[in-house]
Parts: sequence; structure tokens; C-alpha cells
Amino acid sequence: MMYHQMPIPPRSEHLWRYTPWSRIQPTKNGEVPDVEGLTFSTPSQVTLLVNPLEQIEHTDIARAFLLACNGENVSVAIEETAEPIHIHAVSNAETTVGTLHIEFKGSATVFVHLSGEGSWCGLHLTANVNPNAHVGFGFINDLGSSCNLLRCEDWHIARDASVEHATLSIGGQRCKSDVRSYLNQSGASVRTSVTVSADEKRHEDQHVEIHHLHSHTDSDLVMNSACDGRSHFIGTGLLTIARNANHSHAGQVFRNLLLSDKARAEAIPELEVLADDVSAAHGAASAPVDESQMHYLMSRGLNHEESQSLIVSGFLLSAFSNLNNQRLAEEMQHQLNIHLEDELSG
Amino acid sequence: MSDEAQELIGDYQYGFHDPENSTIRFDKGLSEQVVRDISELKNEPEWMTELRVKAYNHFMERAMPEWGNCPMLESIDFESITYFLRSSDQTEKSWDDVPADIKNTFDRLGIPEAEQKWLGGVTAQYESEAVYHSIREDLEEQGVIFLDMDSGLKQYPEIVKKYFGSVIPHSDNKFAALNTAVWSGGSFLYIPKGVSVEMPVQAYFRINAKNMGQFERTLIIADEGSTIHYVEGCTAPSYSTDSLHSAVVELIALEGASIRYSTVQNWSSNVYNLVTKRAHAYKNAVVEWVDGNIGSKLTMKYPSVMLLGEGAHAEVISVAYAGKGQHQDTGAKVHHLASNTTSNILSKSISKNGGRSSYRGLLQVTPRSKGCRSKVVCDALILDGTSRSDTYPTMEIGNPSSDLEHEASVSKVSGDQLFYLMSRGFTEDEAMGLIVNGFFEPFTRELPMEYAVELNKLLELEMEGSIG
Repeated sequence: MMYHQMPIPPRSEHLWRYTPWSRIQPTKNGEVPDVEGLTFSTPSQVTLLVNPLEQIEHTDIARAFLLACNGENVSVAIEETAEPIHIHAVSNAETTVGTLHIEFKGSATVFVHLSGEGSWCGLHLTANVNPNAHVGFGFINDLGSSCNLLRCEDWHIARDASVEHATLSIGGQRCKSDVRSYLNQSGASVRTSVTVSADEKRHEDQHVEIHHLHSHTDSDLVMNSACDGRSHFIGTGLLTIARNANHSHAGQVFRNLLLSDKARAEAIPELEVLADDVSAAHGAASAPVDESQMHYLMSRGLNHEESQSLIVSGFLLSAFSNLNNQRLAEEMQHQLNIHLEDELSG
Repeated sequence: MSDEAQELIGDYQYGFHDPENSTIRFDKGLSEQVVRDISELKNEPEWMTELRVKAYNHFMERAMPEWGNCPMLESIDFESITYFLRSSDQTEKSWDDVPADIKNTFDRLGIPEAEQKWLGGVTAQYESEAVYHSIREDLEEQGVIFLDMDSGLKQYPEIVKKYFGSVIPHSDNKFAALNTAVWSGGSFLYIPKGVSVEMPVQAYFRINAKNMGQFERTLIIADEGSTIHYVEGCTAPSYSTDSLHSAVVELIALEGASIRYSTVQNWSSNVYNLVTKRAHAYKNAVVEWVDGNIGSKLTMKYPSVMLLGEGAHAEVISVAYAGKGQHQDTGAKVHHLASNTTSNILSKSISKNGGRSSYRGLLQVTPRSKGCRSKVVCDALILDGTSRSDTYPTMEIGNPSSDLEHEASVSKVSGDQLFYLMSRGFTEDEAMGLIVNGFFEPFTRELPMEYAVELNKLLELEMEGSIG
């Protein structure tokens, strides 16, 4: 269905419960704005190809909207490579939209850095991971503090391929992310790590869907958030295991750390299981900073702020600790450390 | 029973039915006149009639929920349901005075026998109204009021007016509106300050007629420092056409009071069971929902507790069994609206023969509620490849000092456990039955012994032939 034909999704859908469509789109309901293209570039040895947008029908309103905006459309094919590839996407105009398609033909590690001072940014990333490819992917949202972001990703993972997908969201004002992974063939796996550091009035809505469509598929999701100021974090997950997807394993963990009286966090880890020979589990926890940890650090000479910062840092970094791809884990931890040091130095 | 019904119901042991002998039976279908007629028949005060009409209008305007099992909800034909049926002209205090066929039904369900042995009071509701009601004299002397809801409204109109709809207003949801419009029967229970009722009181709900709607309304008020355990059970005959059970249960636990509300729902699998249950728990009060869902076609029920006073505690233990053609959409909601409140939610479900069980829950801590603690555990077993299990938990945390945990798991019965039991001489069926009883044990140990034994028997029946 095309965007103008779509009804506005009701808030009874968890996907739109806390960030309704009217609050994340840049115009009025039903209108398509004039947009500039998101600027893609890469210092790496790969070629970004600019293509005309293919008019395909979507069932999700966010994807249909981004298509209707007709922004920049770029694709890249990545062969097997040991060197990490960095792709920069910059949003410097008032309203920018871009579509990026990545074809992973072999194993590779790719980072997408999103930055810029525009007021609204839309990004739709699609990726095909070919059989036996082992992919590390890092997404770093470092947008300016007044920018709103709508981000959609669709990952199709083939036989015996694996994806380690890490997100670090530290920028933007109001951000809505919707990342969907489809484990299409036997032996496919995805490991997803999301880290969100929110302060002031940031509104961060992270939705992760993982669909086990075939037997012998594995998935793992860790979502850690630390909310300060008047920030609001929403983590929603939808994990489905199809009728024929026996011998699948799936796990989800959501952890929230609330650092101020005005901060809020919501966690909705959903699970739909139609196969019987599977193991699926999810967990969610929310708690304040541990007083005994604070006491331990302060008794060793750190002040209150330094102690809390150290604990928060360790908590956020732990989301990346289960990644096997060392380059991916190190880069994401490096980016997070830069952000936390900036925070601490004011 | 028709072949079609037999196919649908299987071995449901309470699927028998009596001849439909009614003293008053309304035509099928719902209208404002039906609502007014029910109220007039019961000779209700004007405020109740007006509330019913208001609720009816709300029901008509309100759309069906857009979540849950929408196709099943949309298939309910509200015009094919009988909204009021009176089987007996009065509520009797002796089983001997209850019409013979109805008494026979309750004898087969074991209610009079249970009353003699271990209950403090009994209400037996047949179709729309209570046909039998009694309470032990010593409880009555202590000031405990235990009546069917219609009598409660007649005898204590001020209390009913004060609390009726105070926990679940008619505009809460579509089915609460329907219940408020056409409610009939249910229990009214008031426990005075400091009175501790040691023996459980029980209500038993039976639908006998075809295409019947049962809309009982239960209101329990536990005054300061009092304690009560209320048990309800429900069954219906097996028909190939659908019936609707849409109850509203309101609990009010005042300061330091304790209410335990236990349910074993065993409706036949042609009954839509769409129930709203909610409690208000004031300072240091404790509310426990112990909720077993074995039967029905579709159950949508999420017992909830609003923790309104500091130190209040909520406990929800629920189990669900979803067999062929069944969807058990159950769960729990706890709203931490005051500081230092605590809650535990334990949910267990089993899906078999194409059944679907869903846990749907909400845990909310408001910004002003400090130092709240909660733990939610959901475990699900799927016994074959045609069944389904979902969990939809929601945690909304508005205060940084709260400590909340949620964990859920879905799996099949462990092959190791089956092998262990079978190597000791159990058949596969017996071994599976034992494992399932063990899985539900955290629930059954909270029930009165007689209920626990009954539940285990029911589960064994349901589990027969579950292997292969």
C-alpha cells in the first residue's frame, strides 16, 4: 500500500503507543513534505551508487512515508573484507531523507555514522546478507540536539549467515527507530545490541523485531538505556517464531537505568511463538543506580558525579560486551566513551 | 449434545445440561428497552436505571478493542444472546427449596457437599440470578454481609451506591459497559473492621441455557484490618452455539485489609469469557488474585490491582490451559500509585492441540511512587507444533527508585524429565500429567485443598492423549 492510502496507525499498536505517528512525522498526517536528500559519503574503498527509487508497496506507514518522500537513494555492494567500512550520512538541510541498501556478499564490518544539524531526518536502510557471510554492523546516531529522527531498517539474513548489529543512540531530540531482522533460512542468526544514553528532554523510541522464519535460527537482543533529566526511553521488541522454525533459540533482555526523578522508561518485550521445539526467553529490569556500588567507589575517593558516571558507563558498555566481532565492539565502545567523556566534562 | 459440539468440547465433564425451565425469559437481543426492563423487573432505584442506560449508550458507541483476538471478538453476535433469564422466583436459603433440576445440577457439581465441609458461605447463581444463598450464622453475627448483588442493592443501597462502579466505571471498556447495562446476580460482600473470615466463601456460576449471556457483578469491600478469601467457580453446558460471560468484579481493600480472590474458570469451549476484574488496595492492604483458566472459547481477563496506599501489596498468580479451538488471553496489571508498594506476578500457561495462550500484562510505576518493587515471571509450555504461546508484557517506569524485574520463557516439556519418569515405570501420558501438575504447582498450592485436587483432576483429563 502507498503512503497516501494508509490509515493512521492506532495507539493500541505497541509500535505507536508511546510515539504516535503524528508526533514523529515532519508534517501533518497525510502530507508529504519537500525534502532534501541525506548526504552519503565514505572514505572507504567501496562505491556508493545513486539509484532511482523503486516504487514498492509497504505495509508499515513509516517505510511507506520515507518512500513517498523520494529522498536520496544509495546502494553499495560489499565483498568480503577485513577492513572496517565507514559510511557517513549527514543531515544538514531542514528536512532530509535517504535510503541506503547494502548487499553483503561476504563477511565485513560496516559502520553508519549519522550526524548533522537539520531539524528532521528520515533514513531507511535495507540489507541483504548472503549465505555464509558474517557481518558486523554499527549504527551511531550523533545528530544535533534539535533534530528529530525516523529510522527504519530491514535485514534479510540467508543460510548460515550471521549479523551482529549494534546501535548507539546519543543524538537527536525525538528519535523513533524500527529495526527488523528476518532470519529467512536455516542457520541464520542475529545478535542485536542497543545502547541509549538520554538526557534533558530527549525522547527515544527503539523498536526491534526479529522474525525466525526457518528452523535452526538464533537471535539475541540486549537493550540498555540510561535516562537522565526529563528524558523518556521506550524499548519495544517483537520476537516471532514461525510454525516451522523448530530448534530455534531466542533471547531478549531489556535493562533501564533511571538517573533522575523526571526520567521515564518503558519496556515491552513481546514474544509470539508458534513452534514447540524452541527455547525462547525474555527479561526486563529497571532499577536505580546501586547504592552499594556508589558507596564502594566513593569510599575510594571518587566524588558522587564521577562514581555515577563510572557506573553508568559500565552499564551502557556492557550491552556491547556480548559481541564477538572485536572491531565492532571496540568501535562502539570507543564512540560511547567519547560521548560520556563529553558529558562528564560538561 | 450434537456431534459438532462433542467434537468441539471433547471430554468436558460439566457439559451436561438441564431442560430450560424459566419463569421469565427475555427475547434475544439488546436494546435500551431490554436494559430498562431488567431494571424495572428488579425494582431498582432510579439512579441504577439511569446508570444502566448510560452504560448501554456507551456500549453501543464504543468500538471493539483493536487488540487481542480481534477475529474472535468480531464474531460475537450480540443480537443472538439472551440477556436475562430467571430460573427461580426467589433466592433460597435451603438446598431443599431450590427447584429440583437446578439442585440436581449443583449436586453433580458437588457444591452442597463442599459447603457443609469447608465453606463459610455460598452463593449459587443459575443463569441470570442467584438461586441459593447462605452464610454461616457466626459470620453473620460478626457483621459480615454476604448477599447476592441484587439483594445487596435492595438491602444496602447506600453502600452499593457509594462503591458500585468506583473501581471499574462503566466507561472503562466495552464489556464493562455491557455488564453495567445488563448486570444481574453476582456477590455483594462486606467484611467489617478487624473481622477475619477464616473459612472461604464461595460463589458458583452456572450457565445452562443456549446462547445465554451471564453478566454477574461482584463487589467486595474489606474494611480496615479485615481478611477474606472468596472463591468462585464456573461451568456451562456444551453447545455448538456460543454463550457470553462478561462479569465485572470490584474489590476494595481498605487500610490493612486482605482479600484473596480465587477463580477456577472451567467454562465449556463455546463460552466467550470477557471479564474485568480490578482491586483498590489502600495503605498496607493486600490483594491477591489467584486465577485459573481452563475452559472457554476465548478468555480475555487481566485481574488488576491499583496500589493506592503506602505499603500496599499485590499478588497475582494465574494459570491458563489452552486446548483445541481455545485462546486464553490472560495476564495481570499492577499500578503502583503510592510509595513503597510491592507486587508479584506469576503466570503459567500451557498450549496444546492448536490452542493459543497469551500473557498480556502491565506494570506501572508513577513518578511520585518511590521505592516500589515488583517481579513478573511468565512461563509457557507448548506441547505440540500446532499450538501457540505469546507474551506481551509492558513495563512503564516513572520513578528512578523503583526496582522491577520481568522474565519470561517459552519451551516444550523437557525430554530428560519425561525419560526420567518413564524409566521409573510411568507411561508417557502419566509422566506428562505429572510434569504438567508440577508446572502448575505454584498455583494449585494457593488454592483450598478441594479446589487443588479438582484442578489436578481436570488437568489430568485435559492431558489425556497429549503424547504423539
